[in-house]
Amino acid sequence: MMTKLYAVFGALVLLALSGAHYAGWSPSDATEVKGVPKSVRDNPGSYRSSYGSGRHFAGGK
Amino acid sequence: MTATPQAPVDSRPRKPAAPSAKTLTCSGCGAPLAVRAPGHSLSVACGSCGAVLDAKDPNLQIIASFEKRTKLKPLIPLGTRGRFRGQPFEVIGFLVRQVTIEGETFAWSEYLLFNPFQGFRWLTEYQGHWISAKTASGIPKADPSGGEGAVSYLGATFRHFQMAEAETIYVLGEFPWRVQAGERVVVEDYISPPRILSSEVTPEERTWSIGEHVDGEQVWKAFKLSGSPPPREGVGVAEPSPYAPQARTMRWLFLAFLAAAFVLNLLFGLMAQNRVVYSKQFQYVRGQGSPAVVTEPFELTGRRSNVLVEIATTVTNQWAYFTLALIDEATGQALDFGREVAFYAGVEDGESWTEGSRNDSVYLSSVPSGRYYLLISPETDAAGLGYTLRIRRDVPRTMHFFVALGLLAILPLWFWFRKAHFEYRRWRESDHPWVESGGSDEDDD
Repeated sequence: MMTKLYAVFGALVLLALSGAHYAGWSPSDATEVKGVPKSVRDNPGSYRSSYGSGRHFAGGK
Repeated sequence: MTATPQAPVDSRPRKPAAPSAKTLTCSGCGAPLAVRAPGHSLSVACGSCGAVLDAKDPNLQIIASFEKRTKLKPLIPLGTRGRFRGQPFEVIGFLVRQVTIEGETFAWSEYLLFNPFQGFRWLTEYQGHWISAKTASGIPKADPSGGEGAVSYLGATFRHFQMAEAETIYVLGEFPWRVQAGERVVVEDYISPPRILSSEVTPEERTWSIGEHVDGEQVWKAFKLSGSPPPREGVGVAEPSPYAPQARTMRWLFLAFLAAAFVLNLLFGLMAQNRVVYSKQFQYVRGQGSPAVVTEPFELTGRRSNVLVEIATTVTNQWAYFTLALIDEATGQALDFGREVAFYAGVEDGESWTEGSRNDSVYLSSVPSGRYYLLISPETDAAGLGYTLRIRRDVPRTMHFFVALGLLAILPLWFWFRKAHFEYRRWRESDHPWVESGGSDEDDD
């Protein structure tokens, strides 16, 4: 029973692995935005990204 | 505790005898006694008074006496007949033995079965675990390959399990030897589940028996007993591991899946474009206009695939934050993301140190083909910033293989843990526990 379950599970993992490779899936925190106006190309400063400034590393010893 | 065979085993074929029983009277208390294996039994124990009588003596002389204050009732009544393992047998004797280990007493029951053509068999029961045993047909040999004290018998290696001095504390029925009250033998068990080899050493001889685990249900069915067998507690000494039959398949499946995942990863890696579609150096000087710039358009070809954006900067003891957007020129769809680089270095107490990195990279998932440009809006605490941006399409990722490996290992690891735990529970009752116990002995299952 356990081996049958594993056989099915393993096959699904391989299928998912193939799918991830084929579709170029990667974990990503990019946000999809629709309808960016063409004018942004000429005036990039007008683009308001959902990833605005504010998160800055203040590291160093 | 080396198991060195010392005495030959009594494996002589027994002459068939008529399966008739003699009814006698106990010379100790007058109770009726049945001798079910006349000609084979050397002693008969009276269930009423505890006297052990010489079965060969016409006057049934008392040769030993057991305290009978506590009467034990055999789970299989004496005289019960059944077909056990394809052969008819009758239960003719019952005894209880005990060992004392580290101040704790463990007792088990032994039932003597008799068939005039097959001879004697033993059925032992301890905590609901049953073993069918008979006299070994050969003498086991020491087998160092099986570990400390191991022996080999009929081609199988038996590992030493336990040695203890057993005392007979209760007898009922008849036996093919002269039973003595308080009879003591040194018992050594060797196991190769579901089989068990046991030796009994007395000052006179060493005898070997070979046994095999039997399900209680099988015993109940064989002797048509009412009710159900006593529930099993813990793991029996010779109980077959429920995991053992699947272990080999599980191992092969895991290796096969691992190999398949590796090959898939290799194939997709070889087929990947892994192509640089854009690369350019940028210079940002604070205070000179808007920092936001866009790249020239570039083509992402092929099926949906990933995009790797790599940023290399020159920051030192500074940070830089990049707001980025990969924009599809035709559809106006964008992927917004942000990346931060920071690199700090210095010397403290004579030791140099660094923290962070000047470079960063990010994968964008499953980007469709099309003509794109990248919008970059940098921020920094430096007066100026030089950075190089490189974009690659369809980059092979080994991360997928390791994720698959992790997923594929979950079930086998759980399975092997359960298998090992089963054996741990078996061996913790032995002279060779996997972990020396210093505390509670409670069963955790």
